[in-house]
Amino acid sequence: MKNIIIIPFVLFCIATQAQVLKVGLRFQKTQEMYWENGISSQYTFAKFKPNQLFVGFDYVTSRLGSAYNSNAINQDTYLLSGSWLFNKSKPYHIVTRLNMGYFYSDLEEAIFKDIPNTSFLFSPEVGFTYDFKKAPISLNFGTGFYIITAKEGYSPGTLQPLYFHLDLYYTLFKK
Amino acid sequence: MNKFRLLFLFLITTVFFSCSDPNISDDLLDGDIIFDPSLYNPEQFLISAKYPTPTPTDLSKHIILAIHGYSATTFEWQEFKDWSTNPSYRISQVLLDGHGRDYESFKSSKWEDWRSAITDEYEKLIALGYTKISIAGSSTGGTLILELVKSGYFNTHLHPKNLFLIDPIVVSSTKLQSVVGIVGPMLGYVEVDQSSQENKYWYRFRPYETVNELNAVMKNVRKGLEDGVVLPSGTYFKVFHSLHDLVASTTSTVLIYKGLKTSSGAPIDVQIMDSDIHVFTRLSLRSNVTPLQLANQKDAFNQIANTLN
Repeated sequence: MKNIIIIPFVLFCIATQAQVLKVGLRFQKTQEMYWENGISSQYTFAKFKPNQLFVGFDYVTSRLGSAYNSNAINQDTYLLSGSWLFNKSKPYHIVTRLNMGYFYSDLEEAIFKDIPNTSFLFSPEVGFTYDFKKAPISLNFGTGFYIITAKEGYSPGTLQPLYFHLDLYYTLFKK
Repeated sequence: MNKFRLLFLFLITTVFFSCSDPNISDDLLDGDIIFDPSLYNPEQFLISAKYPTPTPTDLSKHIILAIHGYSATTFEWQEFKDWSTNPSYRISQVLLDGHGRDYESFKSSKWEDWRSAITDEYEKLIALGYTKISIAGSSTGGTLILELVKSGYFNTHLHPKNLFLIDPIVVSSTKLQSVVGIVGPMLGYVEVDQSSQENKYWYRFRPYETVNELNAVMKNVRKGLEDGVVLPSGTYFKVFHSLHDLVASTTSTVLIYKGLKTSSGAPIDVQIMDSDIHVFTRLSLRSNVTPLQLANQKDAFNQIANTLN
């Protein structure tokens, strides 16, 4: 499943000339649920809406958050995103984003094998980004809401809709 | 009138209308006419009230405290009482504080109030001399039992013989429940679609303050389970959970299994039921009850009754 999401994204990025590549860390908290931390990357392309349209990949996991050294459930979220930045000529931007992805929670025991533990994800987001002028660093704060269409009782319990995240990016190259 | 004044007027109007109290009629438990019968006749529901001076024969019996869930009443465990004919145990049906009364009582109650009805009856039974006490809880009743274990209440009180949980809620299946803390003040309350008969035994209107309380006790228990909780010595524990519970996510039971161990470090007992209803042991007032639902109910009742000895 992971490959279905990641491989097309990587091929898309290789096939297209990237203008800006940002990679960094994501710290994410879901309302009334877990801390899930991980990595985030954002690309914008030289020949199509540079510095305004970004595509991204994010991976967050409770293994690096609430489940670290605790009995919380290990769960992973993989997201592909498309973002639109406003105020592209300024250091601060309002960001709107659409995410699609996949959620998996590890329930570990055979007795729980029939309990729903995976879900496709779709979420709109809004956020704020600030690019530091004197360093290749930017900060992004965003909040999103997973649109969960499964009937109640048929989606993973630890997948809750409202989340907040802070991303710290380092710009690897810019041309 | 400028734009800001219009916006201010809109916000004030929205908040005013959204925060108004619900329209409560007399045929609802939420109103001032219908109350849980245990408030009028506690001796028909509470063992401590029915046998205020128990004999040695009384004291030799197992007592099961039956704890209902959020917004419910003693009705939720009535079928178990009616089913139980074994003279070796008696059932004490506890009405949680804030429940079975009226909308305002419910609205002003805290989860600690809900819990206090359990500890009141438990301590009365201990004071009367009972030594074989078990507790069975459905939905939030199960969550409150877990909170008592997690908080160490049983470290200073008689250890219960058995703890049975039916569809306990540690994580909600209702996704929007997690955002009530944010949107609740705008909503005021949530109205639940239930039958006219169910309106007499469950609150139809759930104030957002009580949903916040429910979220608070769930979070409290969830954090405790994440850190690890150990049962009192000599206490048997089993949780039953519907596979597709529409209210209390079945993941709740995964969290309980991971986070709760017996005093010897052994895992607890768990049974996932082939069911898609919440509190599968309550079938009364449900429409189109299936043979499978009846079998599930009987299975749980049998296991509770037969585990006591």
